[in-house]
Order: sequence, then C-alpha cells, then structure tokens
Amino acid sequence: MSKTLSICGLALAMSVALLGMPGCSKKSVQSGGDSQSTQGMSKGGADGSKSGVGNFPDTGVQSEGGGLRGLDKNPSEERVGSGTMLAKVDPSSSAGRQMDEMRAEQAASAAAGLRDVFFAYDSWTISEDGRQALTRNGDWMKSNPSTLVKVEGHCDERGTSAYNLVLGEKRAKAVRNYLVELGVGANRLSVVSYGKERPSCNEHEESCYQQNRRGHLVVKTRK
Amino acid sequence: MTQLKLVSIWSGGVLLLAGIVGILESGAADVFLEATRPDFQKISLGVVGIQNGGGPDWLGGRIEEVLKKDVKRSLVFDLVDLPSLGIQTPGIGNGTGNGSKVILRQAAEKGVSVLVWGKAGMKGLDKDADVNMEGFVYDSGSDELVGGKRYVGSPSVVRLMAHRFADELVFRYTGEPGIARTKIAYVAEQGSARELFVMDYDGYDTRQLTADGFLNLMPQWSPDRRFLIFTAYRNRNTQDIDMIELATGKRWTVISLGGLNITPALSPDGNFLAFASSHEGNSELYRLDTRTKAIQRLTVNPSGDLSPSWSPNGRELVFVSDRGGGPQLFLMSSDGSNVRRLTFEGDYNAAPAWSPRGNWIAYVCRTNKEYKLCVISPDGQKRMQLTTGPGVDDSPSWSPDGRHLVFSSTSDGKSQIYMIDADGKGIERLTFQGTHNSAPSWSPAS
Repeated sequence: MSKTLSICGLALAMSVALLGMPGCSKKSVQSGGDSQSTQGMSKGGADGSKSGVGNFPDTGVQSEGGGLRGLDKNPSEERVGSGTMLAKVDPSSSAGRQMDEMRAEQAASAAAGLRDVFFAYDSWTISEDGRQALTRNGDWMKSNPSTLVKVEGHCDERGTSAYNLVLGEKRAKAVRNYLVELGVGANRLSVVSYGKERPSCNEHEESCYQQNRRGHLVVKTRK
Repeated sequence: MTQLKLVSIWSGGVLLLAGIVGILESGAADVFLEATRPDFQKISLGVVGIQNGGGPDWLGGRIEEVLKKDVKRSLVFDLVDLPSLGIQTPGIGNGTGNGSKVILRQAAEKGVSVLVWGKAGMKGLDKDADVNMEGFVYDSGSDELVGGKRYVGSPSVVRLMAHRFADELVFRYTGEPGIARTKIAYVAEQGSARELFVMDYDGYDTRQLTADGFLNLMPQWSPDRRFLIFTAYRNRNTQDIDMIELATGKRWTVISLGGLNITPALSPDGNFLAFASSHEGNSELYRLDTRTKAIQRLTVNPSGDLSPSWSPNGRELVFVSDRGGGPQLFLMSSDGSNVRRLTFEGDYNAAPAWSPRGNWIAYVCRTNKEYKLCVISPDGQKRMQLTTGPGVDDSPSWSPDGRHLVFSSTSDGKSQIYMIDADGKGIERLTFQGTHNSAPSWSPAS
C-alpha cells in the first residue's frame, strides 16, 4: 500500500514538474498536416494545450451493441446507412507544396555535394567510409556557415516499421554527433528519422538494402 | 496533502476493483477458449440463397456471396454447401410453404443446424432507387423459424446489408456483435508519400483519409471508432502525433514534444494515451492522461522503449525494449511499475498487440532471418508461430472478437495486407492495388 502511494506520489510530482517547466508551457501546438487541416487543428487543439499537448476528444465508448436489434418473427424495416461516416479527402495544396520544397532541398543538397553515410545491418556505428564522407560534409558546412542541415536516418525494409523508426533516429543522431565533433555547431543540425518509410531503392536484395541504410543530409530551405 | 490523501484512497479503490475485474475476466476467457479450441464444434449453417425479387440480376447473388464469406469468416459457423448434401434449394419463399418445409426437414436430417435464406429487390426502376432485403433464419434444433430482418437502403450499401445480417446471426448464436461491419485503417503509398486509408474488414470500399503528400504512419483507432491517432511529420522535419476525425476529416496535433514521437495507443477506456517519445533523449514510453493532459514517464532506460499495447482491462502494457541488445517484449503495469521480460526465444521480437480477449499477445518474431507472426500468452507459458516462409510480416492487429489478426507482409513481393485466423489458419489477402499497403489497424466492434 505504501509503495503504491509513493509511486503515485512520484508520478504526481513528475507530472506537476513537467507541466510547470517554463520552456514547455510556452511551446504551442502547430498543425501536423499544415494544410487544410490547419484550421481544424487550431480550432480543436491550440487552446488550452499544455506542454505540446493538443486537445483530446472523449473517445470512450458511448454505447454497446452496435445497433443490432436481434432477429424478429415480424421484422420491421431497418434503414441501413453508410456505416461509419467518412469524410471525402480534398487533394490539398500541401501535397504540391511539400513536393516543391523537397525538390528545392534536393537541388540545394546536390549543389552542396553532401554525401550519404551508409550503415551495417541493425547498426548505427559510423564506418571509416562514413567518417570520410562526414569530414567532407563538415568542411562544406564550416565554409557555408549560414546553412542549416537536416540529418535524415533511414533503414532497409527488414524488421518492423516502429523499431526501424527508433533505429533511424539512432543513425541520424550518430551522424549529427560526429559532425558536432568535427566542429559544426549543433544548432545548425536537426535530426529526423524516416525509418523504412522513404527507401531510395525498392528491390528486395542486399545491394538495395545497403543503399537504404543511410544517414542522408539535406540543406534546409525553410525552417 | 489533500491530493496525496485522495491518491491513496483512489489506489485502494483500484485494488478492490482489480479483484472484481479479475474474476469477471477469467469467465470471459473460458468462453473464448471454448470457441477457439481445435475441437470446438462450429454451428453448421447453410445459406439456401438470396433470391432476386425485382432489380438487377446481380443483386441477390452479390448479397449471398458477401453473406457467405462473412459467415465463413465469423468462425462461429461452419458454412455447408447444401447442393452437395443433395438439398435442392429453389423457391423456399418465406419458409412457411409446403415446399419449403421439405427443404427444412431435409437439411435437419443432414445435420444442418441453421438455414438462412432471403430475397432482395429494388423499390423502383430508377437505378438510385432503394434496395430491399429480407433475410430469414430457421433453426432445425427447435424446428422453428427463428425470425428475420428487413433492410432498406441505397444500392451503395448492399454489401453493408449483408454484413449487418451476418452480424445479427453471430449475435443471435454468441451474444457478440460480430466483426462483419468492422473496418481496417492502413497506410498506402502514393508516389513517395504514405497516406492513411480505411477499408471494410473484407478489403472492400477503400477510402482515403489524408492527402498531405508526406508520411502518415501507424494509425490506431480510438475506442469509439470515431478517430484515428497516428504519427505524422510537420514540414517533413518534426515528428508529431496527430488525430483525425473520420466523419469530418478534421485533423490536429495532439503530441508535439520534439524528437521521435511514435506508436500511440489509446487505453480501452480512452482515458490514457501511451506513446513513445525521444524528446528527453532516447525513445521512452509515456502515458498521457487525456483529461488532465498530465504526462507521466513510464520507462527510464538508456535503450529504446516503444510500441506499447494495452491489456483489455487497461491495467497493463506490453511493449518493446532493446535494453537486452535486440528488441524483446516486456510487460509492465500501466503506471510503469512491475516491469518484466516476456520473450526469451529469438533475438528480435517486436510490434506487440494484446488480444481484446486478453489471452494472447501477437508480435513479430524473427526466425531464420525472416520476420514472422508469433503469439505468446501473457504469462509466457505458451508460444506459437503463426506464419512461415519468406518476407517481412509486420504490424499485427486483432479483430475485436479475438479470432483473427490483420497484418502486412512482403511475402508476395510488395507489402500487402492479409487476414489470418488466430490459430494461423485461413490466411486471406485483403489488398491488391498499389505499390505498398502497410500498418493495418482493426477497428473495435461497433
């Protein structure tokens, strides 16, 4: 009993501490889709959000039974609707904008001659080849001090989607940390993991897997 | 001080409640074991037919085909082929005529427990006119017309009428709502983007939900089926957890902490969200109280912790951690206490999903360098591999009746979505279009 109490107390203290953190409470929630959804988001989420947490609807189950009325010897007529209502999706302007931005980033990264870093299976250790590539990338960043670079962590298709997102982040962070060791300002580097969701090669073979296990550097064209 | 006192009373209440829930649950588990035992006697059911009562030629046949597949997938019934038993089935009408009595008697003599028939037609000549469907059920054990249903709706809901009737049959014989009207959310590739889609549980009627042109990953349903919660990327740089309302398409961000924010899972009562986030360093598990928005950190470990899945009573979580090297499944209480390792076989066990019946946890296990589906009992005593062969299986998700799993697999080349019985039998491919379909999530029953 006293153990339960102390765990609950600790949890309470932790959540209070989290909510009270000055850095957190200022951070407002922004849209995920940054498209037509922005409106829905700001309506539903921004007000009253704490520490980067948006609004939550009540998602508990209201009624059981699913509208089944049972069989009847003299059945009355039941109207069948379309079941779960599903909104029609608007092809948003966001998709086109993201595509344009990705092209701009690719062009800027290609012009900079930034090189990918490749990893062994299940590994986030930077190889000798990787260190050489990063030395060149680091030199470019130091001679272009106003640029911001995003480090993407990628994985091959083997393993689960979720675990590969974690692995991709480890790879991206390993790349970032090495660049920082080389003297690149940490504030110029951001990391993001795409796991196995954005492969550069789509065949089911090792030569392809090898190309997908990578840390990919992108010159950011917007913050 | 007052707060602490409240907490202590509250936890006492939980302990008391836990005892009661435990008793109730063990009862439910027994029922399930009975229905999934290898020697479980399915109820033999024959579909005499759905006749055309005016309308296009395909109408009755379509409803009959959907109904038969639903009956088969329910795993409650054994669908018998009446003609092969020598039972000719035309003209049963409403089941009360003399000719129909002969058919019913014949079927009863051949051991068919339940007979189903019906009629479908259109109310007018206009192609948008309403469709009528009548279905009747006869039980040979009690030798009586159990009853029937009369449905009306637009031609676009013909499949749903069959699904609804199938669910009524399951409800009649098990007291459960059936799964024929459930849906599956999933991710499909569009160019280099991955967008969310929803389809019926049998792979029909696919609808697109997002179109933002980047990555939308690993959707999970809210308990009330009104929302999906998933991982998305703001401007491709920042990973957030978003929600979308199915009826309106309204979408917003619910978790925006920085770093990796993945694998959201709402508790069965909707009061808590468990998720993994690396905003404090490496990937750790957190639990958000959706009413107070207080966040509690559940794991403290230099390794990666991710993929929480709730036990049906909301008291425990199964999750993945690579604290021992490779990823393994662990269990803990939903407040983060009492952590213990569940899997010991193999060096890669991930993507757990706790059965809604509570008695199994499905997951991805690596054997012979292939990623396959396994199930393990929560006490670790029983373990079974469900799939074999080449390819990567991923993202198992249970049907609400606990009798099936849906998952993605590259066994046919590109990633597609499949359904399989909980005992590893009856695999059925659900998606055939597109270059990549993955991360299926089965909706709760309505």
